[in-house]
Amino acid sequence: MAQQEFIIQRYNPDTDESYEESFNVDVQPGQTVLDCLNAIKWEQDGTLSFRMSCRHAICGSCAMKVNGQSMLSCQTQVDAAAERGDPIHVGPQGNQNVVKDLVVDVTKFLNQFERAETWLEPYEDQDPPEREYRQKVEEFDHWSHASTCIHCGACYSDCTVAAVDENFLGPAALAKAYRFVMDSRDAKREERLKFLSEEQGGIWDCTRCYMCVQACPKDVLPMDAIMELRTLAIEAGHTNNHGVRHHKGFTGGVRKRGRLDEMMLPVQSVGLGRLLTGNLSAHKEMMDYTPGAIRLLKSRKLLTIAQRHGANAEGREQIERIFEEVEAEKHHHDVDAEAFGAEFETAIGGH
Amino acid sequence: MLQHDVLIVGSGLAGMRAALEVSNDPTLDVAILSKVHPLRSHSGAAQGGIAASLGNSAEDSWDLHMFDTVKGGDYLVDQDAAEVLTREGPENIFELEHMGCAFSRDDEGRVAQRRFGGHTAPRACYAADRTGHAVLTVLFEQLLRRGVKVYSEWYALDLVVKDNVCQGLVAYDILSGQIEAISAKAVMFGTGGYGRAFRVTTNAFASTGDGVVMAYRAGIPLEDMEFVQFHPTGLQGSGILLSEAARGEGAHIVNSDGFRFMENYAPGRMELAPRDIVARAEQSEIEAGRGVTTLRDSVFMDLRPIGEERIRYALPSVLHLARDFAGIDPLEAPVPIQPTAHYSMGGIPCDINGQVRIKDLEGAPEITGFFAAGEASCVSVHGANRLGTNSLLEAVVMGRRAGRGILDVVHDLEPTSIDEGDMANAIGEVDHFLTATGDQKVGEIRAELRDTMMDKCGVFRDDAELRDCLSEVKDYQERFKNISIDDHGSTFNTDLLDAIELGHMLEYSEVITVGAIARQESRGGHARRDFPDRDDENWHRHTLAYRPQDGEDAPRLEYCAVNMEPKFREPFPLQERTY
Repeated sequence: MAQQEFIIQRYNPDTDESYEESFNVDVQPGQTVLDCLNAIKWEQDGTLSFRMSCRHAICGSCAMKVNGQSMLSCQTQVDAAAERGDPIHVGPQGNQNVVKDLVVDVTKFLNQFERAETWLEPYEDQDPPEREYRQKVEEFDHWSHASTCIHCGACYSDCTVAAVDENFLGPAALAKAYRFVMDSRDAKREERLKFLSEEQGGIWDCTRCYMCVQACPKDVLPMDAIMELRTLAIEAGHTNNHGVRHHKGFTGGVRKRGRLDEMMLPVQSVGLGRLLTGNLSAHKEMMDYTPGAIRLLKSRKLLTIAQRHGANAEGREQIERIFEEVEAEKHHHDVDAEAFGAEFETAIGGH
Repeated sequence: MLQHDVLIVGSGLAGMRAALEVSNDPTLDVAILSKVHPLRSHSGAAQGGIAASLGNSAEDSWDLHMFDTVKGGDYLVDQDAAEVLTREGPENIFELEHMGCAFSRDDEGRVAQRRFGGHTAPRACYAADRTGHAVLTVLFEQLLRRGVKVYSEWYALDLVVKDNVCQGLVAYDILSGQIEAISAKAVMFGTGGYGRAFRVTTNAFASTGDGVVMAYRAGIPLEDMEFVQFHPTGLQGSGILLSEAARGEGAHIVNSDGFRFMENYAPGRMELAPRDIVARAEQSEIEAGRGVTTLRDSVFMDLRPIGEERIRYALPSVLHLARDFAGIDPLEAPVPIQPTAHYSMGGIPCDINGQVRIKDLEGAPEITGFFAAGEASCVSVHGANRLGTNSLLEAVVMGRRAGRGILDVVHDLEPTSIDEGDMANAIGEVDHFLTATGDQKVGEIRAELRDTMMDKCGVFRDDAELRDCLSEVKDYQERFKNISIDDHGSTFNTDLLDAIELGHMLEYSEVITVGAIARQESRGGHARRDFPDRDDENWHRHTLAYRPQDGEDAPRLEYCAVNMEPKFREPFPLQERTY
């Protein structure tokens, strides 16, 4: 048995005080952070509050920050959380308001699922089959990882976009939206892709930082799901939006000049056509870029016109080769997917 | 006073399925109340599957499923209920599938099915080994779609019943600390089981039998509470569940000699005998000194015969649980397992429409406007021992039936009301804990209670140990009167809830023990060393335990007959139960 120090971020709603408090716990091999929190609550200080229930990583209640990263406290071994002798820091989830100690208000997180309408919408023009819908193992395997979400909020808590944008749907709700987009039983695939492309805080607002995949205690892979949604949305023709224009401007610029062209990117994202036709909201979007642009200029992060020529000839050749290889691979993948789709259509004789 | 037409307490499979059914009537105002957010409900922890005779993998029928269920329950099963459960199974599965449930698929794209203990056909429909989670998620999604009101993180304190008519509920808003009356014409309890009273358990911290005790305190007897299922494959120490699906897929259980000892206990079914039989076999091997690890308190489950690829695909949770919670990789080594308190066969007596009813007593009085379904109820489809994968099925089938039962009567029920006097008990209970100044601690009493119940009212029982158990429980009840808690605040006071829950655990532990002492036979999950045989002549009947009235010092026990009247076939006659 060894003593382990825990430094817990506490908040008392009655006095509105936030403070850190240290506790020492006798730890047995194999004990989890949740075991220790319970030992503190039951033996030292009953006022310590946190959520927990199943204690085996399926109910999703006990996600919190352990040494700054979001995880399930029940699934985290004490030995893994601390080098011998170092205290373990425990705090509430991020990106949400604290109610008391380690308890946060999860309403904002859970509301995103409602906003994205992440439930199956049945076909209205036809009755369901008498027995089950047929779904190929390959189809099921393609999206089933995204259905393993336990709604613990760890991804949302560590999300770098949710930290600055209240509107962002967040990794969990987007991954769940992906799960329904991919499920042949759902009737609203097209509507979903349109919504996810055009909604403020939709698929194009992810910055691909990968924190959600790292935080997820299950196999959901939220960021991968979001990236796949982008591809699906473009293929479905949802290209006339800020996200896709930004994406095209970004890659187009790199392909053409061998480096990112920050000067032109806002114009391309907002859409040159929209600006030239005097679209008012387009001009407002341009104005929104101004403060950021000024900051970039001041810190010399924005290229001057003279610098815009980019990479040399050899570099550009190499970049062009990368683009060609990626395109060839994508074509290959599409052919496979089409063949699979056709075979599946025949197999089930319907959607 | 808050008001709804229908109030469902508990948000697991039974509660949500019932609410969904009631919401089919747009004129009705239905709400769900739960001490945890619905997605945290313990139904989500069910792993291996949900039974139904779809016949996707091999020929199957509801009759066969019904027979397996009746035999599995050691003939204490009410056959009208088992019939409903098994006949309506397939349509309920298809309904879940149409809602979008993420069922695993077979090569034909149908819902995949696999073998499970006590079932003679492969009829466990599954979503890898997270079936409960898949069904729970899909039901919650559909409730969101319907916009059903949810009181999330509200704790039900007291059920208000006057002259056998249910009036509603007194509940505590965990976030604000406010106590509110909620009246409803119909109340349904889907509040789950009571396994938390045992030291080694698969149950969530939340499974503290709250609904069962609220009904008991309201004067409703509890049925067959002495029947607690011990699951044979809990992780050593913590008791965390490793799915029976592991054995369904081909895992072996061996003792310290490396011998597959089920050969000596159920040669016909081996590891796939029903849970009570495998748990007793394990306990016997351990007591005979053939246990494993340095503690000799467990046996090994070896998953390696299944093969790595199939383990990864079909049993990912089992793989992760063994790695994360025992530090053992099942691909490399066997996992030490032991019997763990898992399922509560007993509960609130109700009929096949979820109507709470004091069965088979004179006039069979019903509690008007009060319904129950799922693990909190005792309908009784599981009798003395539940078969794996029948619990999710029961929650869904009986949840739907309770919903329909409510729809059938609710329009004819009178409006109800709850006055200040009706709230006095609940307010008094909360006040007492917030102001108590005794020297006893909740955590200590709870730990001792769980030891007592595990060691003296566990897999095997006998008269002397049970009487010890009862006197210790009584002692804890006395000490509980003298507790104090640390947290006196009004926001998210889980210290207070721990105290209330311990009160529930102490109350139902007494009922379990008293019922177990009285039942002088061995049947299903209730195994007496001093009465090793089943005794149909005296004990083929259900226990009903009433709360002690003034002057009584123990629950009063009555008994009622087992239903032997299925509608669509002859009843299955009592037979010796061997596998």
